[in-house]
Amino acid sequence: MKTLIDAIKSLKTTVSNVLRPVATVEFPAVIRVRAPRYRASFALTNDEHGELSCVACQACEKICPSGVIKVKSGGKRESPATGKKRQYSDEFTLDLAACIQCELCVQVCNSDAIIMVREPEQPVYRREDLVLDLDRLRANARERTAAWGTGSVLQAMQESKPRAEPKAKEEKPRVEAKPAEEPKAPAAAEGVT
Amino acid sequence: MNALAHGASYGALIILTLLTTVAMGVWFERKFAGRMQSRLGPTMVGPVGLLQSVADVVKLLNKEDIIPRDADRGLFTLAPVLAALLSLGAAAVVPFSSTVVAADLDIGVIWVVALGGLTVIATFAAGWSSNNKFALLGAMRGIAQSVSYGVPLVLSVLVPVILAGTMSLSGIVAWQTRHHWFALWPVIPGLPALGLFFLAMLAESNRIPFDIPEAESELVAGVTTEYTGAKFVLFYMAEYVHTLVGSAVASVLFLGGWDGPIAPGLHWMVAKTLALFVAVYWVRWSLLRYRSDQLMALCWRRLTPLGVGLVLLASAWALFAPGGPA
Repeated sequence: MKTLIDAIKSLKTTVSNVLRPVATVEFPAVIRVRAPRYRASFALTNDEHGELSCVACQACEKICPSGVIKVKSGGKRESPATGKKRQYSDEFTLDLAACIQCELCVQVCNSDAIIMVREPEQPVYRREDLVLDLDRLRANARERTAAWGTGSVLQAMQESKPRAEPKAKEEKPRVEAKPAEEPKAPAAAEGVT
Repeated sequence: MNALAHGASYGALIILTLLTTVAMGVWFERKFAGRMQSRLGPTMVGPVGLLQSVADVVKLLNKEDIIPRDADRGLFTLAPVLAALLSLGAAAVVPFSSTVVAADLDIGVIWVVALGGLTVIATFAAGWSSNNKFALLGAMRGIAQSVSYGVPLVLSVLVPVILAGTMSLSGIVAWQTRHHWFALWPVIPGLPALGLFFLAMLAESNRIPFDIPEAESELVAGVTTEYTGAKFVLFYMAEYVHTLVGSAVASVLFLGGWDGPIAPGLHWMVAKTLALFVAVYWVRWSLLRYRSDQLMALCWRRLTPLGVGLVLLASAWALFAPGGPA
């Protein structure tokens, strides 16, 4: 008897679903509006002189919980733009196959070099194609829309916590930091293509 | 027109109609199932995905026709043909209206039940000849299920046979046209018998919630594991035709067949058949699969006694009802 009641309940559920509007869209033709903080893939930005911002400090490599980032420093050399000596990353790979998109690498980047972008990578047939190398990361910075967070923005949110005063700890310091730091979402225009 | 020419022409017409309905039925099922799960279903091929079945068939026919090395080649090839022939064959005696019937047998009920029961041979031939443990397990489950559910099926079919006093499907409809639909009156053996027939039909045609011979999560694809391309199409088609013919028989036996006001008979018959066909999909996409032993328990401990009771009630009604037997 219980089985019968359960069966009738399931039949009712499916029929009520038929009468409701569908929840899915025809994906390639219709793309849903993505949330303002949506992030998908990665990019390596250039600094104001058009050089790679990354100074190969390897902070991202060390913090990455999945260990998918590998940075190899090319040593210090003179910058052609400024004439000052600085460090460059000669090799930078990020394996999306194991990336969990936690954004910690972005958060620790002191030079705002690694950022996330809003457009996801295309599906691939080989695992090797999931590895983003320096060229692909730089191309992403040119061709795709930057996501909301950068190293300095995310770090500013952390630092605005008034650590010294124990009283302030009871409040919610992260919330008060948010509105000031949140930049205009670059993706508001994005959505239905 | 002699009987042979009549049968051949109407038979060809009915088979063509059935196959077209099956093709559209597949599209409808996918659309319907999609909406039940809050998704769109096929949309790309043709307007609202209407040509999806055509694309499916073209795709399947293009696939390589694989016969496993250790398979019994003759039987392996024969099984899908047998399945398709048996399921189409049952349609021969179904009266779609007072005139549209390929062969109006006096023992139409027996013909339908017999051919429905024979499909188990195609199932076992497929399972055995595949030489695959999943296929064989599926086939054995299929036999256990079909043989068991044959009993409540026959018992439920006996109710209209006893009430109408004839085994001719046309005769049963004619009786209902003169009096009343069996599902409506006498409501006690009538309506439960329709439910019983519906459940037994689901089990006979291996549809969810009784699709144990197929059981994707346990048996890969059951008896059709080793089948590809055109042979798989035949099995797939046979299953749908079986369901469709079963719906037609149910509407003939219990819902008055072509009987109905205003519109011509054929319309009513088609409407009733399709309504039951839709109900099959409704059930299919709503319920979960039964476990094998639960299925058997349901059959022998619940449905068979219920069927016996219904037959006794129907007999009592036929003997003692006011106005006497039909």
